[in-house]
Amino acid sequence: MHAQNGPPVAQPESRRSRRRSRRTFAAVASATAAALLVAACGATGGSGSGATDTAGQAYDANLTYWFWGESDIPGITKWMQGMATDYTKLHPKVHINLVPQSTSTLIGAFQTAAQSHSGPDVDTQWATLPTLTPYWDKQATPISDYVPSSETSQWLNTNENTTGGKVVAMPLYLIGVPLVWNKQLFREAGLNPNDPPTTWSQLLADCAALKAHGITPLGMGNKDGYFGAWMFAIFAKQELASLSNLESAIGNTGQFTQSQLDTVLTNLYTAEQELVQKGYINSDVSSLDLTQGWQLFPQKRAAMSLTTDGNAMSWAKTLGEDNIGVEAPPTWGNGALASTYDVTQSSDEFITAWSKNQAAAADFLAWLHQPANMSSLYQQTGAFPADKRFPVSSITDSMAKELYQLDTSKTSVWLENYLPPQVDNDADIPAGQMILSGSGSVSKAVALWNQVLKEWRTEQPGQFQQYKAWAANGS
Amino acid sequence: MAPEMPGGGSTVAARPPGLIRAARAKGWPYLFLLPAVVAIAGIFVYPLIEVVRYSFYAGSVGSLSYVGTANYVSLWQDPVFVQSLMDNLKLLATVPIMTVLALVIALIINSQIRGWRQYRSIVFLPYILPATAMGLTFGYLLERNGVLNTFLRDIGLGALAPDWLGSGSIVVATIGMVIVWQQLGFGIVVFAAALLGVPTELIEAAKMDGAGWWQVQRLILIPHIRRVIEFFVILEAITMLSAVFTYVYVLTQGGPGNASSVVEYYIFQNGFENGAIGVASAAAVVLLVLASVLIFFYLRLRLRSEGGAK
Repeated sequence: MHAQNGPPVAQPESRRSRRRSRRTFAAVASATAAALLVAACGATGGSGSGATDTAGQAYDANLTYWFWGESDIPGITKWMQGMATDYTKLHPKVHINLVPQSTSTLIGAFQTAAQSHSGPDVDTQWATLPTLTPYWDKQATPISDYVPSSETSQWLNTNENTTGGKVVAMPLYLIGVPLVWNKQLFREAGLNPNDPPTTWSQLLADCAALKAHGITPLGMGNKDGYFGAWMFAIFAKQELASLSNLESAIGNTGQFTQSQLDTVLTNLYTAEQELVQKGYINSDVSSLDLTQGWQLFPQKRAAMSLTTDGNAMSWAKTLGEDNIGVEAPPTWGNGALASTYDVTQSSDEFITAWSKNQAAAADFLAWLHQPANMSSLYQQTGAFPADKRFPVSSITDSMAKELYQLDTSKTSVWLENYLPPQVDNDADIPAGQMILSGSGSVSKAVALWNQVLKEWRTEQPGQFQQYKAWAANGS
Repeated sequence: MAPEMPGGGSTVAARPPGLIRAARAKGWPYLFLLPAVVAIAGIFVYPLIEVVRYSFYAGSVGSLSYVGTANYVSLWQDPVFVQSLMDNLKLLATVPIMTVLALVIALIINSQIRGWRQYRSIVFLPYILPATAMGLTFGYLLERNGVLNTFLRDIGLGALAPDWLGSGSIVVATIGMVIVWQQLGFGIVVFAAALLGVPTELIEAAKMDGAGWWQVQRLILIPHIRRVIEFFVILEAITMLSAVFTYVYVLTQGGPGNASSVVEYYIFQNGFENGAIGVASAAAVVLLVLASVLIFFYLRLRLRSEGGAK
């Protein structure tokens, strides 16, 4: 019907029809938007809360990142700086100030920052107890509070930093600790260059043959105490049936007693003392840091060494891949853990409890684990990323393949990770120094462990109780 | 009620204006001192009170629990603390060595041998070197197969080439040698400056009376700078007790096996590495008491010698 000289007047029925159309249109538009939103969330693998939506979120933050890794993986600091730059391109309002840390002040610097609740937004610490202890002291926020399990489940070795169902820190890379030997020096000593020592008695026999030919069998450095700590990590565990043995002794829960741990330590330090007294370790082991002692091997001044995957690959380039071999450290003990290898994430990255930019920090850390970034980590540094999505086919170098095979073929335990930092600093390290420098007896070294454990339980009652609870829950 | 004065004034004695002015004048110096007092209280007194307070607690900052004197008891039961204290006391043996060496060299320089000004600058150089550079350098020099030992072996003195920093039995002595090397310059400059203040007439008179060089040093110069020597001895003794952390940290980090740990390093290890603030604070209080004893002795010595001089 049309109004006289005007447009047709809408009939009530048409008005209703238009209202209906508008409602229908609004419903369809809303549904479409919702679907798009769900699709977008799905694409980045996140859920509503704790999403690592690097494309969508517009973070505005200045992040201070205390980063350590160069001693493990030469070149990783440069890689991380590149990552920070790339992330800022994606998030122009996020600035990341990377502050490389030194090995000797890694723990102390963080402790100082923690006491004033100021300092970095993100910190690196060594795995397990050096990371869980700050969390128990309310100095760290679990990354799993921000990053969903669909993402953290892709990370390797998160068990080393999990407590109470929370993943406290993010692993970045994995390093194995193989025994490396110089095949040419083995040949000169009349040894089969393709037959490395796989048992302790074979090791002693090979050392004797090398020494008889004027070749230093083992080249290491222990001025900073880390070689001694490695000996504990690699060999003491071989006398244990499971990790819970150590946890029980440390937590004083009774299943594995202090006396039993003393026996393990006594056997370990006696074996170390034998190596020193027979001259099977370089005579200046107590004058050289771990990294200085490592230089003896590529300089052909030592026939064997215990080192990281990265160093092994670097030495293969220096000496020629045909001239060096890598193998698991020899079997020494009789416990069930004697069959495990020695791979650890070594260090990990966590968010500090006082950071005002926790979500942004978590987003950056999770972004590092994007497959392209993990691939670039390997390509630039040779480090094996701690991520299931890393394509093994990327590894083409034969030495790297061999090392990756070692790293992934069996279960790994790095025993030192399970020591409270105070026990590691005050017992593990100095006890090893006593033995390797000849300045203390085996009994004195073991007594030091007893004293330090007693002190830790008294001086850090909160940590002690948390350790016991964590160990009781299957750690 | 106060009697009225003619003209309506009160007879209550008003304070004479001069007293008010005098009171204000007395107060002004304190007012000027106030910023310094506040700064000192903030920088020294408050932290001191907090350290003493923390020494009665266990745990990390943020989760402390009161334990009374347990930290002090556990200190004396801790072989590492006892070792650290003994190491500090061993380092006190460097004080007489430093004092005698610095005095002898200062006396020689004071004799104004040719080039004495240059020698005085050269011997002071180690004192101004940064500790990290010194630590790195000596760390390399004193390695078991480092420069020094290689040289000793080359000249047939291999028997004198121990592991200077890696052997528990001699590491403290080695650190002591490095301390003497660095601190000597300070002593020489202090003594040389004091010797310059000795009246020349005394020396001339002694020479006219037939005194030889050594007699002049022993009977005129050294007695004249006795107070400076006392001051240097006490200062270096306090240094050996409470200011050797840098040497230990850069050279050995307390190793091998705590053999070169000193009380400051023990405090650092517990307070900063382990977060055991209670034990660290208790050790700091013990160190403060020991240093205070030394300062007390020095002040007594000063008073006695000033009293004798009167």
